[in-house]
Amino acid sequence: MRLSTPRIWLWLAAAIVMVNGFFPAVWILLTSFKTEGELTQIPITWWPENPTLQNYIQAFTGAPIGRYFINSLIVAVGATLLCVFVSALAAYALARLRIPYKTLIFSLLVGVSMFPTVTLLLPLFEMVLALGLRNNYIALILPHAALSIPVATLVLVSFFQGIPRDLESAAMVDGCTRLGALWRVVVPLSAPGVFTASILAFVNSWDEFLLALTLMPSQAMRTLPVGIQFLQGEYTFPWPLISAALVIALVPVALVIAIFQERVVGGLTQGGVKG
Amino acid sequence: MTQPKYRRSFGDLSERALAFWLLLPAAMLLALVALYPVARLIYTSLFRRRLTDETGLSPVYVGLSNFAQALSDERFWTALWNTLLIVLVTVPGALLVGLLLALLANLPFRVKWPVRLGLLLPWALPLVFAGLIFRWFFDSQYGVVNDILVRLGGERLLWITTPDLLFWAICISIIWKSSSFVALILLAGLQVIPKELYESAAVDGANRWQSFWRITLPLLTPAILVAAIFRTITAFQTFDIPYAMQNGGSAFETLAMYVRTTSIENLNFGYGSALAVLMFLISFAVTLVYLRYVRGAED
Repeated sequence: MRLSTPRIWLWLAAAIVMVNGFFPAVWILLTSFKTEGELTQIPITWWPENPTLQNYIQAFTGAPIGRYFINSLIVAVGATLLCVFVSALAAYALARLRIPYKTLIFSLLVGVSMFPTVTLLLPLFEMVLALGLRNNYIALILPHAALSIPVATLVLVSFFQGIPRDLESAAMVDGCTRLGALWRVVVPLSAPGVFTASILAFVNSWDEFLLALTLMPSQAMRTLPVGIQFLQGEYTFPWPLISAALVIALVPVALVIAIFQERVVGGLTQGGVKG
Repeated sequence: MTQPKYRRSFGDLSERALAFWLLLPAAMLLALVALYPVARLIYTSLFRRRLTDETGLSPVYVGLSNFAQALSDERFWTALWNTLLIVLVTVPGALLVGLLLALLANLPFRVKWPVRLGLLLPWALPLVFAGLIFRWFFDSQYGVVNDILVRLGGERLLWITTPDLLFWAICISIIWKSSSFVALILLAGLQVIPKELYESAAVDGANRWQSFWRITLPLLTPAILVAAIFRTITAFQTFDIPYAMQNGGSAFETLAMYVRTTSIENLNFGYGSALAVLMFLISFAVTLVYLRYVRGAED
């Protein structure tokens, strides 16, 4: 190991990283239990004085958070399935097959991932209008899936490259076709990679705001980021309600991230650094 | 690149045909959502086309005059300048904070997951949510930032309504949100530095400070560069956080916000496209630098 670090410094270091990472989340969690009246006290309170679940009830009854949640879920799941399916096919070809201009294809992938979303916004808006798809889930699922293809493909390529080629050759010697080998050997072994790519694609879609704001403008079709942003009134800021809504929106993603941290970190650094 | 040792065809599919079919779905989706839109954008930028008048139905070809208009448009220059300021402040800011977080997170903790989760949570938090939460942190009356300032004996500041303070509030929010991604990338870089290097440096009498400057920083430079380029490209597209912090307002407007307002809110498709093309070109130039660097690093 390195020079030994005194325990107190370790605690301090951990505390800094965790306060930085968790404070905003903890703060909205605490606020979500406060009453509107408590919120407008000066000096402000840190700990809720009379904890209440009223804001959560309000979020589901007074504001359509349930609806937003379902919209987000449909879009994110749809985009993830589509993205990972087409990315897995492409990644297998890039990792295993003899392809001309392979470097160019990789460059194109990385290049596309750098396109500013806002520059795609107007043409996509026009296409969606022309096809009559405004406020249709498809209008958001297709672009969300496409925008995660680069990162998903890069993650999957590095997973496929990690699977010993001999396993596949052996399967083919035993009479499998290449596609058969792909299905029986590569697919099961690459489940962790597929899973990592899925988490990244899901989080990308769950978080996306600009396209959702523009392509699904009707209230009933808003996703969580758009719906919660619009809970801010022109002059009023119903923070306890917004906080409860934020907690509801964050819990699923936070759980997935907490359970599968190592995969997520691995995927992020593969999709990023190796890109 | 990796080349297979064998070349055989299976069934009716030659290797090339198989590759073609495997790549086709992803290529089609990207063409539909990314390549066609960019082509369409360039095309529309050459026309006068507003949905609010007769040019909505019959666009008028105007050559490059939309671009000429942009060059003399003060609001465009302000938005560009604001965006560059965001890049200049938040990229170094996020790199510094991210490096600090990565160094702290790289210490030999017995239990690693709480610290790692502390880095992952800000990354997974949607940008809009970060904007909303910080909007409220910086609230002049009920915000926690002013609460702490007052407790420390300072004065309440009007963060959201004072232009300069709004800029800094936006920058702080962006730095908080993006530094954890930087930290995750740098942490991966730190973890592949061989421990033996530090041990032999310690044997030679180097202290921590010297080890950091002589070993850690030089070996981490490639990761820092990658993170810097990623951050630059995303910071240039800044939209969500200032949008949420101003509740859709435009007292502080970035280029992305101006592009969206022009094209979607004002339905000025021609001019909005020209602005978007300009933004695309700048972003593309940065990406080319990035690709050149990555390829250089692979050789």
